[in-house]
Amino acid sequence: MIVFDDVSVTYRGGVHALRNVSLTIEDGELLVIVGLSGAGKSTLLRALNGLVPATSGSITVDGVEVVGASPRTMREVRSRIGMIFQTFNLVNRTTVMNNVLMGRLAKVPAWRSTLGVWSAEDREAAFQAMERVGIVDKAYVRASNLSGGQQQRVGIARALAQEPKIMLADEPVAALDPVTTHQVMGDLQRINRELGITTLINLHFLDLARHYGRRLIGLRGGELVYDGDISEVDDDTFRDIYGRAITPDDLLDESADA
Amino acid sequence: MSDTDVMIPDDTDQPVGRPERPNGPRNWRIGIALLLIVAAMWSWSGLDASLRDALEAPGKGWNIAKQMWTPAFNTVIERGAIGKIFESLYVAWIGTMIGAMLSFPLSFFGASNVAPAAFRVPIRMLFNAIRAVPELIVAMLLLSVTGLGPWAGALAIGLHSVGTLGKLSTEVIETSDEGPLEAISAAGGTFLEKTRWGMVPQVLPTVVGYWLFRFEINVRASAVLGLIGAGGIGGELVSQLSFRNFPEVGAVLLMVIAMVLVIDTISGFARRRIIAGSGRKIDDDDDSAAFEALRDLTGLGPEPV
Amino acid sequence: MSDTAVPATARPKKPRPQLTTYLLVIVLAAFTVFAARQIDLEWSSFIDMWTNPLWGRFWPVPWDWVLNRHNVFDALIETFQIAIISTVIGCTLALPIGFAMSKLTSPNSPTFWVSRTVMSIIRAVPDLFWGKLLVTAIGIGAFAGAWALTIFSLAVMVKLFSETVDAADPLPLEAARAAGGRHTPAVRTAVLPEVFPAYVAYALYVFELNIRASLVLGLVGAGGIGRIVETQRSTFNFDRLLGILIIMFVIIVIIEQISVAIRKRLV
Repeated sequence: MIVFDDVSVTYRGGVHALRNVSLTIEDGELLVIVGLSGAGKSTLLRALNGLVPATSGSITVDGVEVVGASPRTMREVRSRIGMIFQTFNLVNRTTVMNNVLMGRLAKVPAWRSTLGVWSAEDREAAFQAMERVGIVDKAYVRASNLSGGQQQRVGIARALAQEPKIMLADEPVAALDPVTTHQVMGDLQRINRELGITTLINLHFLDLARHYGRRLIGLRGGELVYDGDISEVDDDTFRDIYGRAITPDDLLDESADA
Repeated sequence: MSDTDVMIPDDTDQPVGRPERPNGPRNWRIGIALLLIVAAMWSWSGLDASLRDALEAPGKGWNIAKQMWTPAFNTVIERGAIGKIFESLYVAWIGTMIGAMLSFPLSFFGASNVAPAAFRVPIRMLFNAIRAVPELIVAMLLLSVTGLGPWAGALAIGLHSVGTLGKLSTEVIETSDEGPLEAISAAGGTFLEKTRWGMVPQVLPTVVGYWLFRFEINVRASAVLGLIGAGGIGGELVSQLSFRNFPEVGAVLLMVIAMVLVIDTISGFARRRIIAGSGRKIDDDDDSAAFEALRDLTGLGPEPV
Repeated sequence: MSDTAVPATARPKKPRPQLTTYLLVIVLAAFTVFAARQIDLEWSSFIDMWTNPLWGRFWPVPWDWVLNRHNVFDALIETFQIAIISTVIGCTLALPIGFAMSKLTSPNSPTFWVSRTVMSIIRAVPDLFWGKLLVTAIGIGAFAGAWALTIFSLAVMVKLFSETVDAADPLPLEAARAAGGRHTPAVRTAVLPEVFPAYVAYALYVFELNIRASLVLGLVGAGGIGRIVETQRSTFNFDRLLGILIIMFVIIVIIEQISVAIRKRLV
């Protein structure tokens, strides 16, 4: 269970990225977070795994306090949280296998990871993660030789190799075309259902949110303005979150047609 | 638009007045040209040479060039010139290895995206200080203290290479992609793991490319070090010149040229293989060919903006 | 490459590093060990070097001698004079020769090949070799040094400059030729404006190189402050030597800072 209690994040320079956000997420949920860019979506995810430290409030992951945690505790929490990035964040010059094995770093002793002597168990976990997203045939291909959709699946496999309880996806499809977008979103949905991994996804496109989400979180100017079931969401809800009428740019299929 | 008879290609009603030719750039150009001429004349006055000397110099040079042809390869090879060429190569290679092995770990501590200022500032000062001392001077100091042969030259080249390679490697590390590091942090990785798995695979091909650049430069440097007695082919040039054995001098020069060109070709080929093999488009985020050539020759590089 | 979501089930085998990769590593390691032995590189010689009592004679620096005008300053001025005149002449000559050496602007192919070959041969001979050669040919002194650096900086400059010209936009030149322009004026109006900023930047680099080179030219008798270094070394005045080296160090650092500042403005 994840609990945000009155969490605020203020960046250096005084930008309030999150204001007094309180939120409880049960195990196995699939949450979609929407909002304009700059609304604090990405900060919300990064506050959860401590990449962005919360300025005040409390965030607990399965009862462990993240705000102000020691580096050791922080790494322990992070090892249970997989993260997927908009820009994939792969090391392009090395193989898919090496990229996926990076998900194992928190689980192996330092000498092993430094020398690159991975155990059979680590390799097995990496292979299974790759199989789950259908890129195992590319295991020894250099990451830079893959298409965008394939690279994002390597990103997902890297997160899966952590054997995480929670998965954070920060605009995972923003750099992809519509067809691969649906494939990647489908992968995330499947992983949530089959493995019961709590999944938090930041999205820009409203129709994607409707299609794949179960629970919707709306952020506006760093404040939580909506939290509810996706089936109850209508265009007025989105208007509240976005502070303006919906435009074709907010819809994947519309903007793809344009 | 009004119905004027004048054909004007734009929407204005008035015929456009011709602007004055701006004077600013022209004045600047004239000023700089004058400054350069004055500086050159002042410099000429310090060379202690008459116009006649200047006019005669090409003739003297040509005379000697003619004597160098035909080169006396047999004589210099009998004196062991081939071995000295190789000695120069050994000195350059060992110097490059010393420079590479010392600068690579150090350069991580000099990069702003890896190390805190407490490490970064002294390491960078060290690199810059080393770079500012010519290797010839370092070699001269070592030689006059130790009185020993080629290894002192290798040490001097190695030391200088630590500075130049350290600076370039630091720049490569600083311009590397932060994304993978964030991903490793998010997976619970430590500082060491971020460096080993996020940083090293990103920077290594480029850095090894710089090592090869440096080797090409060091081959020239080690030949030069021979001029002051640090072994290698430079010493042979000095002794032949002191007896004015110009055909032998010609042979030594041709051997040096061949050595430099052969090494440049092999090393250039290896560099292109490494860059191409690293899965990066060659002209993608690389410097222009000209900058590459410059770094190639000098080890100096443009500052990253 | 297809982008299907169908999981490919077959796990690929880890590709073995090629035999040539192993061989290359072994050969390079062996070569390094061999080279180290050939040049007598041993730990004991390091220790001997560090413990050599001669290092003590580098201190203290006799600043009153070093800062005396006639001892160091005059030779330092000579160093600057060598660097300035060789940069000015070398870079001026590099403008036409650089154009001749570029595929884009070369007037004809004999000019192209002859200039390229001659320049790369000149460049393959290190700058101090030129110094030593010219000292023998036209006598000891700054004049020989200036000649050496002029020749060498010309060869460096044309390489840098011609590669910039190679990369210049060919279309304006085509337009100038289409308008009936003769070769030289066409290059002057259509290509020069585009490549001139790079030319200035390279000229500054070359000046920096020439300063560095002219500081040490004196070691082979070609004038400048290196001349003083050589005499003090041969008379074992190590303390004076250190003082001169500190001055050289300061000059190199200052010149580099100025050069960096100007180049930043140019870009």
